[in-house]
Amino acid sequence: MTSPQVLHAALVEVDAVTRTFPLDHSHVTALDHTALRVERGEFLAIAGPSGSGKSTLLNLIGCIDKPTSGRILIDGTDTGTLTATQLTDLRRRKIGFVFQTFNLIPVFTAAENVEFPLLIQGIAPAERKARVQEALEGVGLAARAHHRPDLMSGGERQRVAVARAIVHKPELVLADEPTANLDTRNATQLIDLMRGLNERLGLTFIFSTHDQRLLEHTPRIVRLTDGQIVSDSHAKGVSDVQVSVASLS
Amino acid sequence: MFKFLLLAFRNVFRNRRRTVMTLLMVGGGVAGLLLVGGFFAFMFRGLRESTIRNGLGHIQIFTAEHFKRDEVHVLDTGIRDWQKVAQGVRAGKHVRGVAPRIEFYGMLSNGVKSSVFMGSAVQPDMEQAMGFSPRVTSGRDLTANANGEVEALVGLGVARSMNVKVGDGLTILAVTADGALNGLDVQVVGIVNTGFKDLDDRYLRITLPSAQRLLSSDRVTNLVVGLDNTDSTDAVAAELAPQLNTPGQPLVEKKWIELAAYYKQVRTLFSGIFLFLGVIVFFMVLMASVNTLLMAMFERTREIGTMLAMGTPRRWIVALFMAEATLLGVFGAAAGVIGGNAIGLLLNASGLHLPPPPGTDVPMAFKVIIGPALGTGASLMVMISLTLASILPAIRASRLQITEALSHV
Repeated sequence: MTSPQVLHAALVEVDAVTRTFPLDHSHVTALDHTALRVERGEFLAIAGPSGSGKSTLLNLIGCIDKPTSGRILIDGTDTGTLTATQLTDLRRRKIGFVFQTFNLIPVFTAAENVEFPLLIQGIAPAERKARVQEALEGVGLAARAHHRPDLMSGGERQRVAVARAIVHKPELVLADEPTANLDTRNATQLIDLMRGLNERLGLTFIFSTHDQRLLEHTPRIVRLTDGQIVSDSHAKGVSDVQVSVASLS
Repeated sequence: MFKFLLLAFRNVFRNRRRTVMTLLMVGGGVAGLLLVGGFFAFMFRGLRESTIRNGLGHIQIFTAEHFKRDEVHVLDTGIRDWQKVAQGVRAGKHVRGVAPRIEFYGMLSNGVKSSVFMGSAVQPDMEQAMGFSPRVTSGRDLTANANGEVEALVGLGVARSMNVKVGDGLTILAVTADGALNGLDVQVVGIVNTGFKDLDDRYLRITLPSAQRLLSSDRVTNLVVGLDNTDSTDAVAAELAPQLNTPGQPLVEKKWIELAAYYKQVRTLFSGIFLFLGVIVFFMVLMASVNTLLMAMFERTREIGTMLAMGTPRRWIVALFMAEATLLGVFGAAAGVIGGNAIGLLLNASGLHLPPPPGTDVPMAFKVIIGPALGTGASLMVMISLTLASILPAIRASRLQITEALSHV
């Protein structure tokens, strides 16, 4: 894969990105000349009301959608120059996804769900097993490894989803409204978990949310309104957040 | 690979009710084909054995020139010294017996009416020893050592057209080996129904010595070989071939299948019917499965979107759906083979009979013979059908737009 490299490349660079969607004989602008730069190891929230373009921005950064205009660079690579196969390869290696509705494969156990990203990377069974064990221990679910998602609580499912998103050691984890379907206790545990992984492993997290509980623990918040970034704030002291990953198990 | 197949396997049983319905449909198709094919196989076997027992035999031996002969001087190309040839053949493995025959043609007269005939001359004791006997509807079969009158069997059509009954006399006229016209008075001892009207209208059978006297020759036109088992035909024919190739009198052999024109016609007809049924089942399974698999794909849209988002190659999604369909085919075929064999066993044990076929008055047993080839063929057919049915859903699944798939409700 050949790609233009820039010096001191940010992990994510959104450069004047516009995304419009056709609607009847007109179109809707979901993102309007949006620019954003995310460095490695950041823990960044994209906040805003429904329809503000949060999910669209995450989809574009996650290379599962293409901008109408502008550029998205991941680790210095202009994703607009990549073929569909190269984009698939980039997602497989560099990005982990956490979804609002967990999106676990229901016929797989927790361990098998976590194993899936390693499976599609062609990693050997022994290494897969060790990394799945490590990831599940990391989210406090080693004891539930052989349970299927339908026998787990919402919080547990989302933690499995987080384990699945980090098991292949991606550069970037994207989470779309990860706490939207969780009660306060599970939401708090998940926030602590994600923050802990960010601090402990240096993983870059970008997530969309309008959950105030999550925003309180977020050092950088980008606010979107009508497809435009209206604020990009860095909170002070948030990095000292209490991380209680160990207490999750 | 194992995990991938495991995923396909578990997906097959994700919606159990729908899977059971699909398996019933696929299994029903396979079982139906097995039963129809099994019944045809039973019918073919019955027809084969009756064709052989009605006098065709398993193998017939002729001189090499036999098939070039004219129909008047039939024994010019006959087998000389046939007893020696028969003795050699009789020594072979699986050979139950060897019987000489003369096939000849001529005129038949009762003084009032005349008719042409197609005659065959036999050694009754040798024929009976091999279980070959004509279907005599009135009177009796020929006897080997009849004293006095020359015995004859005539066909039902001959008896009707010439108004002949058992005990009546007839005169046979035929051309001798020297080209002279010769006559022989015979007494009708039985009337035969072969089941074929055209044959019954010309049928005449007398003993071999009578025919040799009529035709002034000690040759025979052919030797009929009876075996203990029809399945041994090819092996025995292969073994016989070298010993028939003698320089003085080159002989050729014909297996029963080469001479059984009617059997081949029936088999071709019913094989065509079976093929037609197979095509119907193939498309029935194909169409129903496309619908089922499209439903499964539609229900799993978000899951497929998730897999694609995580970087699963699109060809994996195609392979996953095709693997699931193939597994459905395997399970459906297994259910069909088990079900079809079980129903077949019940049918065979039930003693059910069908009405007599045309030309006979014996009810036909309703049995099935399900061989491995039939089971394998029907199973492969539904597996191929299901795999083909999965192509459209698989391609659709692999081409889903990820963002749309993830927002699918």
